[in-house]
Parts: sequence; C-alpha cells; structure tokens
Amino acid sequence: MSYDLFAFIVDRVDVGIFAVDRSMRVILWNRFMEIHSARDADQVLGKNLFECFPELPRRWLEKKIHGVFTLKNFAFTSWEQRPHLFRFKHNRPITGGADFMYQSCTFMPVKYGGDDVEAVCVTLFDATDTGIYRKRLDRAMASLKESVNRDGLTGIFNRRCLESELSKEFDRCRRYGSPLSLILFDLDDFKRINDTHGHLAGDEVLRVIAQRVAKNVRSMDIFGRYGGEEFVVILPATDLDGAEAAAEKLRSIVAATPVTFGEQRLAVSASFGIAEAAPDLTSYEALLDRADSALYLCKSKGRNCVMRPAAAATPAAELAAV
Amino acid sequence: MTFVPYSSDHVDALQEIVNVAMGRAAAALAGVLGTFVRLSVPRIRIVAAADAGRAVRVLVGEHAKITAVRQSFHSDLAGEALVLFGEDGCTDLADLMGYDDCDEPGMQTELLLDLSNLLVGACLCGVLEQVESGSNVSFSAPSIIAERAYVHALVRPDALSWTHSLVVELNFSLEHRDFSCHLLILMPEEAIERMRALLDRVLAAV
Repeated sequence: MSYDLFAFIVDRVDVGIFAVDRSMRVILWNRFMEIHSARDADQVLGKNLFECFPELPRRWLEKKIHGVFTLKNFAFTSWEQRPHLFRFKHNRPITGGADFMYQSCTFMPVKYGGDDVEAVCVTLFDATDTGIYRKRLDRAMASLKESVNRDGLTGIFNRRCLESELSKEFDRCRRYGSPLSLILFDLDDFKRINDTHGHLAGDEVLRVIAQRVAKNVRSMDIFGRYGGEEFVVILPATDLDGAEAAAEKLRSIVAATPVTFGEQRLAVSASFGIAEAAPDLTSYEALLDRADSALYLCKSKGRNCVMRPAAAATPAAELAAV
Repeated sequence: MTFVPYSSDHVDALQEIVNVAMGRAAAALAGVLGTFVRLSVPRIRIVAAADAGRAVRVLVGEHAKITAVRQSFHSDLAGEALVLFGEDGCTDLADLMGYDDCDEPGMQTELLLDLSNLLVGACLCGVLEQVESGSNVSFSAPSIIAERAYVHALVRPDALSWTHSLVVELNFSLEHRDFSCHLLILMPEEAIERMRALLDRVLAAV
C-alpha cells in the first residue's frame, strides 16, 4: 500500500523526477518528464539518456553525474547560470519572454542500504516564473538607476550624480596624482529670459544649451546640471590650461547661435569659472567653491567670458590679504 | 550559551578524523577532476563570533578581494560551508569540469558553484561518514554571496546568529595549475555539542 502511495506521488507530483544508472541508462521517468519531453516512460526507460536527448550538454552533464557516483554527493544546477537542461516548453507562451522552461535541478546519490551509489536521481523544478520576474526586476532596477542620475528637464546628469562622480574623480586624482579640473558655468541673465518670455521659454533654453554642450564635451568628461541655470563639466586628466581651452570652446558654442522658441530667437550666453584640483584643496567641495569664485569674477567682468580663480585664492595669499 | 572547550583527546580525535577525511576527499576529487589535488592539513578550532571576521581575513589576506560561495548542510551535524576564491576565480578550470565554453557570462559563476559543491561535498562527507553511522547528510544548492568584494564586508559579527563556531579551514590547490582556494566549514553551537557526543563514541570505541 505505502509503496503504491510513494509511486503515485513520485509519478504525479508537479516536479520532474528521473534517475539514471552508472551507464547513464534511464531507470525512472515520471509523468512531469513525460508531459514536458513528449516522450513516454516506455520510450525512454532502459535507454541511454544522451541518446534519447541529444540536445543535452553531454560532456558537462556526464561529468556532473559521474561526480555524484564517485563522491557520493549531491550536485546542483540553477536556472540563473544555465537556464535550461532540457528544451521543455514552459506554460507561459503568451506572457513569457523565455525560450524554454527555466530549470533548477538537484542531483541526488541513491543508495540502497549499502555504501555504493546505485543511481543518480534528478529532481527538476520549473523556475520560469521566478526567472521572468527576476528579469523584469533587473530591468526595472536598471532604469531606476539610470533615472536617479538624470535631470528630468534636460536629460543630462543631475547634481546627485555630479557630486558622486566628482568625489570619485577627486579621490583618484589625490591617489594617483593625475590632474583634474572643473568648469562651472551659468547662463547669463537667465532670470530675464524667464521674466520676459515665460518659464516655458526658459525651460527650452536650458534643454537646448544642455544638448548643445553635451555634444561638445569629450567622452571622458562628465557633464550635468548642477541646479537652476548652473552646469558643471568635470574634466579628468586635464590641467587648468586644458580646462580654459575647453571652457572657451563651450562659451563660443553657447553664444554662437540663439535658441529658437516658437517665433522667437533668444540670444543666450554663459559665464564660465574654471578651477584645478591644486594640492592645497582638501575636498571636492573646495574645488567647486574655487570654480564658483572664478565664476563670480566673470559676472563682475561683464559676463560671456571664461575666468580662472584669482591668484588670491591660494591659502597663503589669502592669509597675506588678511 | 556557556561554552566548554574540547578536551585534548577530543581535539586529537577530531583532527585525526578530519585528516583521514581530507585524504579521502583529495583522492576522490583527483578521480573526478583527473588531476592531482593538494589539500592542506586542515586547521580546526573554535572561534567566537566576534573573531570570525578576523579568522577569515587572516586566512585570505587583509586587503584581498574575494568571491565567496556558501552552502548549508543538514545532518546530525548542521552548518555552513564557505569557499573563498581569489580575484582570478577559476577561469582555467573550465576543461577540468567538463565545460566546453566558459566565455558566456553565466558559465564562470556556474563553474565556481560546481567546484565549490564538489569540494564541500567531498570534504564533509568524508568527515560525517566517520562519525555518524549511516550518514544522511543533505545539502542546499550553493549560492554566491560575494563577488570581488572586500573580505571585511563578508563576515559581519553583528549579523551572526551564533556565539561560537567550530571551524575547519583548509586550502585546496591543483598540481600544474595556478589555482587555489580556501574552504571553511562552520558549525555553530549545537553542532559543537553534537560533535562532542559523537567524538565520545569514537573515543569509547578505540
């Protein structure tokens, strides 16, 4: 009675169960395996597993099963690394996205009382649902990670991302002694554009200038919107002269062409402060401050220009000035 | 839980059992992998949870980046095994494990899991079959718990649910290949006591 019960359960349980002997002949093939392989037990029993299913990765799987016989130990495969062993259809033909049923398998050594392993029993679990959900989750996480670093209006990097990248570059510059510079620029008279032509016009200016500058920075540079009408370009492996040349190029590109908004053509220019991570700077915030002080000089010089930090910005000179 | 250290008889008996087990494991692994296998003399000790992180750092090096695979086992004795790989992983072992192509992204990981499972199984079964009659051990599927992570992030004492653990550490390497990894078998308090009883039986039978 109890044997019938076990046999019934093994046959009907919603998990694939099969077993092979030492010569890889199939000695158990349950109903789950029958249904999904479209092969009845009598077509498979007593036959070599690999001859019945030539699509199986023979060399690897034989080694794995052989290992269970020799080491008398469990072995496993997971859908995460190897999505399927058998080319079984899954039951989500419409909502799926996977080619075959994802499968996780456990290989169990079978002993009949003695010490020798007589057979290897494989239980095969359908992991398709888990796999599909995991793929969706991975996609959602990737897009979340992307959006968390992007400025909603302009699509370029946001302040959060800029600060984290600047902090990394600053550490790298300190560790390896490679130069690092920064451009901080600000659209001139932006408030006037907003006041005269409306916020929609202001938004369009921000978008157009962001795209224009993004096309003209080097691939290694990191460009983003720092806030309001302020933008930052991080220039790794670049000294102050290099930063000045880059800023001058961007300045002329920004000012060269007015931004079209409806019928109107809005003249735009920007002021550029640059700074280099000199040895006296102890943090990336100090580097930002120094670029900001240079930007401030631009404003007093009549805007639409590029300025270095004043010589007085070195600590020794600051002390002397006091 | 108050913890009574093992007597020197217990320690000697356990060391002997583990040595024999590793000898058998090395032979079995050599049979499966088709190459000579070196297992270091296992080091056995009982560590407090607070020292677990340091024990791992001492084993693999303070600033090492490692990839770690874990697997739990259940039997009369239950615990966890950790296999720690250096930064290079085990790229050039693909052929030994019967992989034709190890370039696909998932294959590297699978290779690590496969090899860890072989190692853990071979070593543990060798120990258990000597102390338990009719050993009925079963294993969870191995999983990666850290990839190229710093050692200090791996074992955080505050996250451990035990206060003392019996630790068996050994080093595994292959002849003619530039490959080695560390194996740690950890058995918390209940297993320490259970093992004490099993060792009493072994000692009584001598």
